[in-house]
Amino acid sequence: MSVVANKDTQVLIQGGAAGLNAARRMAEFCYMVKRPLNVDAFVYPPDAGKTNEVPYGSGLVTIPVYKNVAEATVNHPQINTSLVYIGADRAAAAGIEALNDPRIQVVSMITEGVPERDAKYLGRHAIKLGKIFNGPSSIGIISAGQCRLGVIGGAFDNLVACKLYREGSFGVITKSGGLSNEIIWICSQFADGVTTAIGIGGDAHPGTDYVTYLEKFEQDPQTKAVVIVGEMGGDLEERAAEWYGAAKRRIKLLAVVSGFCQESLPKGMKFGHAGAKEGLKGEGSARSKSDALKKAGALVPDTFGALGPAIKQVYDELLTSGRVRPVPELSSADLPKLPKSVEDGMKAGDVLVAPLVKTTISDDRGDEPLYDGYAASELINKGYEIPHVIALLWDKRLITKQEAEIIKRIMMLSADHGPCVSGALATIIAACAGIGMSQAVAAGLIMIGPRFGGAVTDAGRYFKHAVDTQMTVDDFLSYMKKEVGPVPGIGHRVKSLRNPDKRVKELVSYVKGLGIPTPHLDFALAVEKVTSVKKDNLILNVDGTMAAVLVDIGFPVESLNGFFILSRTIGLIGHWVDQKRQESRLIRLFDYLVSYAAPKRREVPPLK
Amino acid sequence: MAKVLEGPGMGLMKKWGIAVPHYVVVSSVEELTKLSDAQTWLRDSKLVAKAHEALGSRLKLGLVKVGLDLAGATAAIREMLGREVGSITVSQVIVSEMIPHKDEYYAAVKSAREGAEILVANCGGVEVEANWDRVKKLKVEVGHTPAPDTLEQLAREAGFSKAMATKVAAFLGRLFACFDNEDAQYLEVNPVVAREGDGELVAVDAVTLLDADARFRHPDWTFQFAAEFGRAYTKNELDVMAVDAKIKGSVKFIEIPGGDTAMLPAGGGASVYYSDAVVARGGKLANYAEYSGDPPDWAVEVLTEKVCSLPGIKNIIVGGAIANFTDVKKTFGGIIAGFRKAKAEGKLAGAKIWVRRGGPREQEGLEAMRALRGEGFDIQVFDRHTPLTDIVDMALQKKS
Repeated sequence: MSVVANKDTQVLIQGGAAGLNAARRMAEFCYMVKRPLNVDAFVYPPDAGKTNEVPYGSGLVTIPVYKNVAEATVNHPQINTSLVYIGADRAAAAGIEALNDPRIQVVSMITEGVPERDAKYLGRHAIKLGKIFNGPSSIGIISAGQCRLGVIGGAFDNLVACKLYREGSFGVITKSGGLSNEIIWICSQFADGVTTAIGIGGDAHPGTDYVTYLEKFEQDPQTKAVVIVGEMGGDLEERAAEWYGAAKRRIKLLAVVSGFCQESLPKGMKFGHAGAKEGLKGEGSARSKSDALKKAGALVPDTFGALGPAIKQVYDELLTSGRVRPVPELSSADLPKLPKSVEDGMKAGDVLVAPLVKTTISDDRGDEPLYDGYAASELINKGYEIPHVIALLWDKRLITKQEAEIIKRIMMLSADHGPCVSGALATIIAACAGIGMSQAVAAGLIMIGPRFGGAVTDAGRYFKHAVDTQMTVDDFLSYMKKEVGPVPGIGHRVKSLRNPDKRVKELVSYVKGLGIPTPHLDFALAVEKVTSVKKDNLILNVDGTMAAVLVDIGFPVESLNGFFILSRTIGLIGHWVDQKRQESRLIRLFDYLVSYAAPKRREVPPLK
Repeated sequence: MAKVLEGPGMGLMKKWGIAVPHYVVVSSVEELTKLSDAQTWLRDSKLVAKAHEALGSRLKLGLVKVGLDLAGATAAIREMLGREVGSITVSQVIVSEMIPHKDEYYAAVKSAREGAEILVANCGGVEVEANWDRVKKLKVEVGHTPAPDTLEQLAREAGFSKAMATKVAAFLGRLFACFDNEDAQYLEVNPVVAREGDGELVAVDAVTLLDADARFRHPDWTFQFAAEFGRAYTKNELDVMAVDAKIKGSVKFIEIPGGDTAMLPAGGGASVYYSDAVVARGGKLANYAEYSGDPPDWAVEVLTEKVCSLPGIKNIIVGGAIANFTDVKKTFGGIIAGFRKAKAEGKLAGAKIWVRRGGPREQEGLEAMRALRGEGFDIQVFDRHTPLTDIVDMALQKKS
């Protein structure tokens, strides 16, 4: 047995994210006690018409969200309880709406900071309707083995540790939500656990007081004793004492009250819950409450820590008198378990998951990215630069200072080549059409291919092949003519022997000046010597030079185009920003730049 | 409950039709001089000057002066402004008109479980405190308004004559309207006086406590609430409040001079039980603190630093119940970082640390605390199996 919440409790949750979180916790409890999820509907106007998904066991339950309470209870007539998770400024209206629904008998408000006048009004309104209004600021209500309303009881492991999967003999009424778990735990360790534990909320005027719940517990044969966790302020504890002392009661009452420390504080200093902010001595003080409860025959330990032994004492008496029988404990293998998430299962070593993706270069799971195992900040602090990061991510190795300098020069030389080349032009046209940066830059990058900037990889491939197989220049040229066609990396649209490409000269002279072995560059230059004699513009171009140098310093052939793509991206971004800055208008090609070689206008024949 | 100083309090009463004396709140002598050009009553009436601060016993402190003319009020302001009482510095003075009268009465509305309670007596000032049995009371259910007849009958019961009772009833009706519409929790007018000449009832002195939670529906509450504390907040307290205002969850910190047991417990409910246990075992609290609602670790770290910087502490109580959803590992991470910082700064010498906690990731959190022993901290760590306040018993050696 239980009070307020039981196996027949069917719930509506008024609220958004906080309400959904509560539903998830309630689903864990339902799963633990092997009953279907008891949340039937949400009411949250912003999400009306949508659904919320709540994990239950290893599956998901879909719960509809409605515009108002009436709509929810018409569609789910079994609903008899509502939980309010609506902000303090709209909580009162939400509570009234729920109370006024004929099907709803219990409304529990979790919202904190509800104005006192609203709380009082809700409480009185419920009394008039003969219903229960619990809260505001309630952590929830939990009936062991039957029903959880709200997040009371905490995480699943704690529910199990506190034996909430089966009934005990102790009722709990607490103002403090933070102590609800503690007291449930104590009841499960020093006695056989709880029947129902109710968080009434820490406000000065909770909608339902101790006495109302004490009367319900008195009528519940399973509950043999009730523990009250009180605090100073208000007169709820005094009223409970009065009720307890007024007649012979079946239930044994235990209570703790907080706030004695206020007596020894400097005058005017008060702290704790809103409800505790009144009464220092006399009515409303911790002492007056404690004295009243003791006088009425309740057991009142002097500290919270002494509550456990006091509960044990009551439990032992109940056992001795035969009113309670000891409950056999479940073995740990029989305890309820929640299906583990994949993550938890893996952590525990219970499941094996085949990875979808494998990476060998980078790991961002820590507090900063690791590039091939090296922390980005450490690289920075030890003087490494962008070329080193490129080498780590593209070729998984730490290159030397000298190699980094070569890469840096390559990038600087190929960062841009004016607005007329295919890539820049594409980006500029896109920018003028109002296209965003990533798409416009991508339009430029799409141009990189066999005829524009994309010959680096192929040039590297064939120079490497020639050097690896120790071809002569003549062998190489006849091989290329037969098998491939024009030699990638050789030839330029406008540059020639007489009009050399300064970039190539610059790079070649720098690399040659380093005194490092450059077999591929040497081979490429030898090829140029032969081809440029045949035709003036068949010179080693910037793609070919880059390719040869990069292969010389050990970069794999497949990565070579990347150097041009990366470098030129700098320029393309520049062109996009430049057009934006100028607020350039849409451009189109002029007719006079087009040779219209299409057929003249002619008659369309009838469709056959 | 949020206390409102006299100025804004009188403003609210005036709004609901209650006669109050003319008043001005000034923060300099020049301000009063300028106002006296604009407001004739400052030149023509007898005046009262009071320090406009949340201070008790102002009369005894010489911070209330009566029967003044403008020159007298000016001198009083000059004397009061800048006076330091404890940690409060007087920065405002309220100057109001003295209402000539013979009889003083008492009227109040206070929050009650059912709604409100109206109190009235046909004596006022200190006399009512000595004759509390003369106060007559009427409960009003929330959502209801007392009928004029009912109020008149209450006034008659309190000993007012028929003619006077009608006036008192009207006054109480307005006071109730103010209480009900302004989300007040306590309104006390003592004394209410019958002004000589026209006989109108005037609220001469008032206490106003409002429900801070209702602020969202009172855009005209432009005033600040006074510290409920009886003293100004210290720098450390203000630092923690600034953190509290920024975060999800909360951290709270109040210093109590002269104590040797520092508190660093979790949860609003448990923190008071821990403080109670310290007092019950004969300890002296050095502070009140609390963190709750799963605050970020850096906020708990700030709180920990403040706790560790309290002078002369022998024990630190890092207590807490079994948390619902506050992550023990994470919040303890903040505490541990705070402890390390304090130790590096040479604090915590000779201080014993006592830990008890449960909740999400309790094992990992407690293990991290235990590991501090290897770093030279004097720390004892207990889990949920040790009753809540037993660490206080152990710290203060009432239990082995």
